[in-house]
Amino acid sequence: MKIVSNLLENIEGIRIYYIIGLLIFVILFIVIFIRTMKRSNTEMEDIKNSILHDNTTEKTLHHN
Amino acid sequence: MENQKFYYDNKTVKLFILATIIWGVVGILVGILAALQLAFPAFNFGLEYTTFGRIRPLHTNAIIFAFVGNAIFAGVYYSMQKLLKTRMFSDRLSKINFWGWQLIIVLAAVTFVLGISTAKEYAELEWPIDILIAVVWVIFGWNMIGTILKRRVQHIYAAIWWYIATFIGVAILHVVNSFELPISLTKSYSIYAGAQDAVVQWWYGHNAVAFFLTTPFLGLMYYYLPKAANRPIYSYKLSIIHFWSLIFLYMWAGPHHLLYQALPEWAQALGVTFSIMLIAPSWGGMINGLLTLRGAWDKVRDSAALKFFVVAVTAYGMSTFEGPMMSLKSVNQITHFTDWTIAHVHIGGMGWNGGLVFGMLYWLIPKLFKTKLFSEKLANIHFWMSTLAILIYAIPLYWSAVTQWLMWREYTPEGYLAYPNFLETLTQILPMYTVRILAGVLFLGGFLVMSFNLFKTMTTGKVEDNEAAEAPALVPAGPRNPVQETVHRWMERKGVRFSVWVFIALVIGGAVEIIPMIFIKSNVPTIDSVKPYTPLELEGRDIYISEGCYVCHSQMVRPFRWETDRYGEYSKIGEFVYDHPYQWGSRRTGPDLGRAGVVGGPMYKNAAWHYNHFLDPQKMNEQSIMPNYAWFAEKDVNLEMTPKKIRAMQTLGVPYEEGYDQKAIDDYMIQAKLIVDDLKASGIEIEPTKQMVAMIAYMHKLGKDISVPGDSETTTSGEAIKENVELLSSQADLDAAKQIFQTTCIVCHGSDGKGIATFPSLVDDEWINGNQPEQVYTSIANGNVAKGMIAYKNQYNEEQITQLASYILLVLNNENSK
Repeated sequence: MKIVSNLLENIEGIRIYYIIGLLIFVILFIVIFIRTMKRSNTEMEDIKNSILHDNTTEKTLHHN
Repeated sequence: MENQKFYYDNKTVKLFILATIIWGVVGILVGILAALQLAFPAFNFGLEYTTFGRIRPLHTNAIIFAFVGNAIFAGVYYSMQKLLKTRMFSDRLSKINFWGWQLIIVLAAVTFVLGISTAKEYAELEWPIDILIAVVWVIFGWNMIGTILKRRVQHIYAAIWWYIATFIGVAILHVVNSFELPISLTKSYSIYAGAQDAVVQWWYGHNAVAFFLTTPFLGLMYYYLPKAANRPIYSYKLSIIHFWSLIFLYMWAGPHHLLYQALPEWAQALGVTFSIMLIAPSWGGMINGLLTLRGAWDKVRDSAALKFFVVAVTAYGMSTFEGPMMSLKSVNQITHFTDWTIAHVHIGGMGWNGGLVFGMLYWLIPKLFKTKLFSEKLANIHFWMSTLAILIYAIPLYWSAVTQWLMWREYTPEGYLAYPNFLETLTQILPMYTVRILAGVLFLGGFLVMSFNLFKTMTTGKVEDNEAAEAPALVPAGPRNPVQETVHRWMERKGVRFSVWVFIALVIGGAVEIIPMIFIKSNVPTIDSVKPYTPLELEGRDIYISEGCYVCHSQMVRPFRWETDRYGEYSKIGEFVYDHPYQWGSRRTGPDLGRAGVVGGPMYKNAAWHYNHFLDPQKMNEQSIMPNYAWFAEKDVNLEMTPKKIRAMQTLGVPYEEGYDQKAIDDYMIQAKLIVDDLKASGIEIEPTKQMVAMIAYMHKLGKDISVPGDSETTTSGEAIKENVELLSSQADLDAAKQIFQTTCIVCHGSDGKGIATFPSLVDDEWINGNQPEQVYTSIANGNVAKGMIAYKNQYNEEQITQLASYILLVLNNENSK
């Protein structure tokens, strides 16, 4: 672990990592956005409607 | 396929609902008590167990972890079973989750009133309770993931993604922020120090809002809003996009709580950038919620549950716009350390969290108890009481924030602070604090109306602890077919893989924020003159922590002229390297104390002043709202712990010499004796082991190491006496002087000038430096550091000092000679 902490202590310019993080986010966001938008509307409708039909209860039974 | 029979566990849901209601009442009641204490300090009751410093964390923790926490569990346990068409994974885990969480709440309440606290906001609980929280939280997650794995539906609905993010997010935050070194069952030290501790703490604090008060509630919104409206969520595509954006971005934004503070500029820029970006995914959630009601607004008119959901989503939209705006540095100047933040979090807490919980309960309880809501009319009354209470709460506090901020930065035409006495800026906003009490009572009234309504609903129906249901078994979907299934669609049916991606999205932001601050030394430049706390100062600091002084006093002077003029030199990152934990605070109900030990500085007070002030702040100034701490003069410091504390500090890297723990008590007594002698010179007898002595030592340590002796560190003796002072006798001059006297001099000399406790009378025949106009002028202008009087020439112009001398000699002395 010493080598890890030595390495970390001496990294210069790590402050730009957040810019890199920002770029990663923007790229991933664009990819997720495009791929999500391309998903079938029918499939999306089926999923979001599914929770309105979750009432499968029939009758009360005694739990063992 | 043949249906499988199974049973929903409604008993656990019912228990969590009851706990939500009971702890909700307790949390709001404690909040009202805290609000009363701020307006009327008598409500501190003169007891160490009920001071604001101990009650305030009790309120915040009771609301966040007891009320909101139980509501989350109730909502999650009900909706997960329904969404996944299965019983929870393990009844035993459910039971441990419920009773374990209640045990944590009770332990939290007991330890807070006993003064057992880490003094890290929203993470004040000591290490044994931290471990218990971690265990119960893992059990909750285990139960949740187990339920996902044994589900009977292929797709994992969006609400559950938010529950997964909640579990993982809170686990990461709690574990990382709770790394502490225990020295006894009730005391530990954060392993992080100063700026590092601040970054970790606000990474936690900000994301506790995200992953305890936002993500689980978005999950609840995605289930309960469509159910209550009987309409599907507006856009499932939007839910995917805003889910990933929000959980990724939130983790980066923590440093926006530390703007203009002792933190590297890059870290502050990081917090601001990501906070502004957060508006988009947050509003994605709000839009998805509100547009779900598109075409169904007629239902809102008739349903109290939907009304509460609308208020909740609207409050969410407001808070998530306001939050990023508060992260802009120019706006943050106003909002930080003022009541703006308090108003902001209560819009979120009472509107978003409260609204969603109330809406959920109004929909869920009739459903669970298979009956109708007892009274829709009472629910509507609750709705209006609750909504009005939010407005009555927030508006005065916004007003208060702007008022106080403007007063802090107001200068006279001559370039002096217009309100140099902090108390002036506080007494101005006390009427707003009174209105806040009314808002709290109104909110509590509404809550009690709801409790009655729901209790009556429960008694008219009957819950089935084990509710039978049927659903076809889950057919394994097999490996992904790239033609038929997108990657995300595939992930949506793989609970564990989904959780791993959530974990990755969460840790990136935290890692970028925290690792450089902890490991890269250049981020925390040290200052050679800053020395570790002496054993006496360390014990004083621990009392400060235990009493929760951070809830009212900051130790962070920002680099604004109006702060450096009021408090002294601005704070540097290297000052705090031995602070385990940091104590920068987030609200100034009292003045900043970061420079309380700078001799001759505007915040310095001598030992006798501190002694008398701790004993009875209202005696020093009747407008003060600080609780008294009379027991500091009665209670002893536990000196058996002192060597242990020194060893703990050494373990954490504080450079005490080898074997210093063996000498710690001797050094403690030597330093304590100096303070005891100082007090004795003022006629005060006290033993060196009393807590009071340690607190005075700590107050005199604050900022001392970086103070540079200069012009201000002078005494009256030796100063050239001002020549030819002509007293001003016009009524206008004397009125102006009286106003200054009543806000500044009164603290030591009393409103009649006769002196308080050991401070000198200005109306008798004994004058330390003489009672000629020139001598009185010089005493005021140059102060008397040895006696704890600062040089007022830095706060008032020549005319004002002449007015003061005139008021003392012409008015006070005349009144007292009659």
